[in-house]
Amino acid sequence: MSPVIHGADLAILLYFLVLNSFYALLLVLSIPEIWEQTRLAEDEDFQRLMQSDALPPISILVPAHNESATIEASVTAILTLEYRNFEIIVVNDGSKDDTLERLRHAFDLYEVPRTYPETIATKPLRALYRSRARTRLMVIDKENGGKADSLNAAVNASRFPLVIAVDADTLIEPDALLRLTRPFLLGRHIAAVGGTVRVANGCTVKDGRVTDARVSGRFLPGVQVVEYLRAFLFGRLGWNRLGGTLVISGAFGLFRKEYLHAIGGYRTTSVVEDLDLVVRLHRYLRQHKQHYEIPFIPDPVAWTEVPESARILSRQRERWHRGLVAAMWLYKGMLFNPRYGRVGLIAMPFFTFGETLAPLVEVVGYVITLGGLLLGAVNVNFALLFVLVAWGYGMLLSLWAVVLEEVSFQRYRRFGDLGRLLLFATLENFGYRQRTVWWRVKAFWLVFRQKQAWGEMTRKGFESAGKQVTEPSTARRADAQR
Amino acid sequence: MTNLQFLWVVAVAQGVLLVALIILIILNRWFRLRRSARLQPRRRELDAAMQGWAMGRAPAAEVERALARLPVSLAVDALVTWSARVPGERWQDLSRVLANQWWTRVVRTNNRSARWWKRLECARFLSVAATPHDIGRVLRLLHDDHPAVQIAAANTLERLTSPILVTAALEQLPLLGTTVQAYYASALKKARPAVVRHLQQLFRRPDDPRLPRVVEFAARLEHPDLRAPFTALATHRDPEVRSQVARALGKYPHAESVVALRLLAQDGLWPVRAQAIRSLGMIADPATVQLVRDALRDGEWWVRLRAGLALTRFGAAGRNVLLAVEVGAHEASRDMARLVLGLSPQALAEYAA
Repeated sequence: MSPVIHGADLAILLYFLVLNSFYALLLVLSIPEIWEQTRLAEDEDFQRLMQSDALPPISILVPAHNESATIEASVTAILTLEYRNFEIIVVNDGSKDDTLERLRHAFDLYEVPRTYPETIATKPLRALYRSRARTRLMVIDKENGGKADSLNAAVNASRFPLVIAVDADTLIEPDALLRLTRPFLLGRHIAAVGGTVRVANGCTVKDGRVTDARVSGRFLPGVQVVEYLRAFLFGRLGWNRLGGTLVISGAFGLFRKEYLHAIGGYRTTSVVEDLDLVVRLHRYLRQHKQHYEIPFIPDPVAWTEVPESARILSRQRERWHRGLVAAMWLYKGMLFNPRYGRVGLIAMPFFTFGETLAPLVEVVGYVITLGGLLLGAVNVNFALLFVLVAWGYGMLLSLWAVVLEEVSFQRYRRFGDLGRLLLFATLENFGYRQRTVWWRVKAFWLVFRQKQAWGEMTRKGFESAGKQVTEPSTARRADAQR
Repeated sequence: MTNLQFLWVVAVAQGVLLVALIILIILNRWFRLRRSARLQPRRRELDAAMQGWAMGRAPAAEVERALARLPVSLAVDALVTWSARVPGERWQDLSRVLANQWWTRVVRTNNRSARWWKRLECARFLSVAATPHDIGRVLRLLHDDHPAVQIAAANTLERLTSPILVTAALEQLPLLGTTVQAYYASALKKARPAVVRHLQQLFRRPDDPRLPRVVEFAARLEHPDLRAPFTALATHRDPEVRSQVARALGKYPHAESVVALRLLAQDGLWPVRAQAIRSLGMIADPATVQLVRDALRDGEWWVRLRAGLALTRFGAAGRNVLLAVEVGAHEASRDMARLVLGLSPQALAEYAA
């Protein structure tokens, strides 16, 4: 029995050694990247850019399903973004509440005929509306088909060459679009570009804008602030240098429309349509030998509300991991395939063996260590120290994300918020991490049983002074962090 | 060394790193706050000096002194910010004064730096404070490897008129990405005379694949000397050129423009027709009301919309047409007339933009 346990322990140790070395590589690569991005962000003269008509026109796609509580404020906030040339296409995806009525009343909608072809097949449209008050706005009313289907309907209706998908409950900073188009201004061949999503819980929100960035004092949203920082500020910046960005947040990502058309739009059967879309984009562009980039830039910011209850968070994480497992399985042909360059040789293996399998390996590690301890096959000191080192490494990565935030954008200006960031970065590994591992392991079981559901998510909505609206509404949640 | 000892070493190293990171975070925050507290009064001093100088109450030497007390990057930032608020001629006086400052000489020498951010700083500085002696430096920066440096250098064209720089920028223009091209174009608008001469030469090459981009750029200039070349391109075989021409001619209220637009309003492609109808509305020649009214029956919704909006620019005559069509027999044009008549003034203004 003992050799088996030792062998398994050694395999797990090696797995974590390789995985953590890769994280260390991402960490090192994030340093020059944040340096460059910060310099570019600081040096831009946005006033001059705003006066220029050089910026490419953008279609903002807003899928809305039962968003009655927030839709008017969200659309108004988007309409006042600092950008010269954009249109908004809101898709009412068969809402059961009065989302459409609210829009009709607030923006004086009138029905117009459809004047564009259905390039990507979607559920039937009921009607198209334009606004008498705001010409930038178009509203599509369609039968319920899910978020991906709504986005496809909006892509069909969009007029401009760049499209950005924004969740109706996401708050975009006024200059975010301007910043998001920086790679285009730098003349790069961009297929898609992602910005940062931050946690809005605890922040002061006024007129659809985050006016005071705070770190929530509550454990679950607070610890997610650290998670989001880690995911965006060092994970994705590191991937920028490796050229293998596989995830652009569904809550805030800009895409070149011609490529969306080429790959047939969003896949409606995927529960994480954003990851699926980016993987397919890579596949298509590599297969067609196109020169392209899919970068992440850290300074355009959108704020999203994260789950505050463990029940809802578990559903979200479970679904994210279910989508990841399904996507990695679906696109397994790209794995270690030199035809797909760095995506096939680095990104896909990392996401498959690192991100996807990590929770399974971690659970197996806990079980074997416990088993070994019970059977006396493992040295107690060694086991405890090993677990401590593994958690310590997690803390190092989280703290590194806080360092990057501090040396670059410093959105959380109070010392109290900094203290909370440090506290949550430390506490994350004790209990929270193990729970997320369990939720992610459960996802394998659901994939095995072929469950496809999104699940209803209770959302409270934003209100001024950072307090939450008391009446809960149900809506599809953002795929923000993953 | 045993496995346990190795793990202890790793754990201790990790512990030290964790503590070091926490100290780094706290120290960084503390230093930033101190730096900000130290620099804030100097920034205010500079703003006061700039304000006084801009209003003619203080000498440029005061601005010089205040700038020299700031770190170079902040001084360049301040110059970029203030350059937008001070009239061109007065600003050029300051540029000349600054040319002899020690820190501006350092910034200028950075145009050959191996570090892109130093070159970027130099380009940003030159974009607001270049003198005719800097033409060689700007030319070098215009051809820089880093696109951010190129963009910043292109801004210099707004303030420093030089045929050499204009030619260099125009030659690069069609080779750049669409967005960068449009940005260059906006920077080149200021140097109209030199640009127009160069464009007239480019217009004489109808088979040049760069022509659509050149026409798009030329349309932004709205220069009277470009009207004739535009009308000559109304029958060009490339629909993008025709579309750009249809859009551009709206800014030239001239009989020849109207003739060209009448032709373009009958084009086989709806984007060209829509642009032509829009431009006819901008010129608002009463003789074209009937043509625009006919466009209300176009098979394409966007052309009908453009026709409806164009009629609102013809004054009472256009409005009477819309009112007549609103109760007419043709369903599509009736719907469009109803739609346009129901638009708010704000919506009409937005469409016009």
